Amino acid sequence: MKQKEAQGEGNILFVGIDLGTSRSSISASNNTREWIESYVGWPKDFISLQVVGKPVLFGADALKNRLSLDLCRPLEHGVIKEGIEKSEEAVKEIIKHLIELAKPQPEQKIYAVVGVPADTLKVNKLAIRKAVSEFAHSLMVVSEPFAVAYGMNLLNNSLVIDIGAGTTDLCIMHGTIPSEEDQKTILTAGDYIDEQLYSYLTEKYPNSKFNKNMVRQFKEQYSFVREISEDIRVEIPVDGKPVMHDIKNEVKRACESILPALVETTTEMIARFDPEFQVKIKNNIVLAGGGSLIRGLREYLQNALKEYGPCNVTCVEDPLFSGSNGALKLAQDMPAKYWEPL
Amino acid sequence: MLFMIPKKREIRVRKAILRGVYEDNLRIIGKNPVILAGRAPIFFKKMFLFFSITLLSILVNGNYLNLPLFPEKQTTASLITQRPSSLPAEKPVKPSDYAAFLGGKEMPLSRMFGLEVKTIMIDPGHGGSDSGTTGTMGTKEKDITLDIAKKLRERLRKYGRYNILITREQDTTLPLNQRVELARSSRADIFISIHLNYLPSKPINIIETYYFGPSADDKTLRLAEQENAGSHYGLSDFKEIIGKIGETLKLQESKEFAASIQKNLFLNSKKQNANVYNFGVKRAPFIVLLGVDVPAVLAEVSCLSNREEEIELNTESHRENIARYLEAGILDYLNKGEVSYEAKRSSGRR
Repeated sequence: MKQKEAQGEGNILFVGIDLGTSRSSISASNNTREWIESYVGWPKDFISLQVVGKPVLFGADALKNRLSLDLCRPLEHGVIKEGIEKSEEAVKEIIKHLIELAKPQPEQKIYAVVGVPADTLKVNKLAIRKAVSEFAHSLMVVSEPFAVAYGMNLLNNSLVIDIGAGTTDLCIMHGTIPSEEDQKTILTAGDYIDEQLYSYLTEKYPNSKFNKNMVRQFKEQYSFVREISEDIRVEIPVDGKPVMHDIKNEVKRACESILPALVETTTEMIARFDPEFQVKIKNNIVLAGGGSLIRGLREYLQNALKEYGPCNVTCVEDPLFSGSNGALKLAQDMPAKYWEPL
Repeated sequence: MLFMIPKKREIRVRKAILRGVYEDNLRIIGKNPVILAGRAPIFFKKMFLFFSITLLSILVNGNYLNLPLFPEKQTTASLITQRPSSLPAEKPVKPSDYAAFLGGKEMPLSRMFGLEVKTIMIDPGHGGSDSGTTGTMGTKEKDITLDIAKKLRERLRKYGRYNILITREQDTTLPLNQRVELARSSRADIFISIHLNYLPSKPINIIETYYFGPSADDKTLRLAEQENAGSHYGLSDFKEIIGKIGETLKLQESKEFAASIQKNLFLNSKKQNANVYNFGVKRAPFIVLLGVDVPAVLAEVSCLSNREEEIELNTESHRENIARYLEAGILDYLNKGEVSYEAKRSSGRR
């Protein structure tokens, strides 16, 4: 395998892409690591084109200028959605942009492994392949939690819980490529927390003005479950004047809203597994995705599963890149003969 | 990573996984992984043999992908032309009945009494542990039906006039009796169940729509058996439900509804793909249709056994199109009464 890499390194660039609902990242064999928020925006008219100065904008850039853009978040709910052509176009733009960020040499061949939310994979396999194939010489599509598991070497007797924005994907690894029964998707994830938080805040502070984007930032900054000692106060304008608001309880309630489904599905998946190996799996539960950053979630889950026997839950070190790193590893390990026909 | 078994074993596992990923992706693009079983010399010979046979069959039979092998093409064609004449075999429906129902001077029940249809229940077939049928590329019926159902719901929601319900939101197992219960308890006004056909022996694409009724057709009965499996209804329940057949009004309405769905589905699909056959509106004892008290139909919107169709079904736009046709069918039924539609129908069909 070393040999192959050595001779392939020169003219082949391996990339691993994590195509997420909220953030997409790329890891390449030339050691580039980049990420963008999965937003794509096209200027609404020629005036806005003048203002933003680019034909298409991405991520934070697009969000900042969103008032003059047609903004698209193509993978909402983990599926390529709505105005079909537009979202397919947007997925394409994201991929193209990501690969450009990896700075391939002009004559380098690009071999890509793309991790996508497990639900997307079911019906949109071809669409995603189509979107990527223009920019890569050869590519493979895998499910997101599987890429994470592969990257962390958790090939056997482990459970990966990938809490993304659109979906939470669970995947049991038992030494083979996970079949459909080994994977499960629930729809309560980051976006759901945003919605809950938004409605709780509107309820509590009907006079204050905030939007979904602000709410998302609150969540990303302060999210927690169970207890924390500090207060959470944020500035929100009321009648144009910035006023401090206490949002601790709302953040807690919103974050905890995903827990019941999560615990239930986790136990259900473990219970379905061969009883002899259940203990091993329980000692090998890994939280990935943006949701793993919620403070206290790991402890909560470990506690909740306690009544089913001892268990050990860990979080991935780098949720942003764990998917793309795993995909990259997969790409590099893949024997050359497998790449060719694809 | 408590897991430090000898390295060799890990490498083997890794290899198997890589291979699995590769085969999975081959399947996505529609190549058969079995052919690529390794072992170069035999492999190439096999390849050569395979291609020469393929070539031969193309030369002999024309289009290979469609597989309308000549003799078979004729049988299917004649099958279709025979269809109207085979229909009277289902005794109670006489041609005159058909004419009456196709000519359709009657308005739908809802219109007649000035009632409004408020709640539409969409039922994506199968789900969870019950995958329905599976195509050669691994496309599952349950996923496609769910996606189409969701798209249909979005489309109908835009009108704002209807309350749209869906029996399952996710990939969950839902026995038929629960679907029926849902439709009853939510007081749905009309009910549409979405399914995909699978014809292992015939490489054609057909569209058909069912409403509840006894059937004399063997194939239909088998299909009903298949779709009824896992209903969780006992025989006594079934008898009781069957007693309700007397509700002829519901039957009449369902028939009308089915005709509207079938017409819109078929005529529009035909525009996209000339190779689709119209198997018409049929009656069959599907439990899911019987249990529901309101007009209910089961639409087999496409055919997963057809390779080309499976590829199409994997595209977003095709599923959106099917949802659009269903939407048109539903609205047509709800807003019917205009003569123009009827005129077109009696001359245009079959």
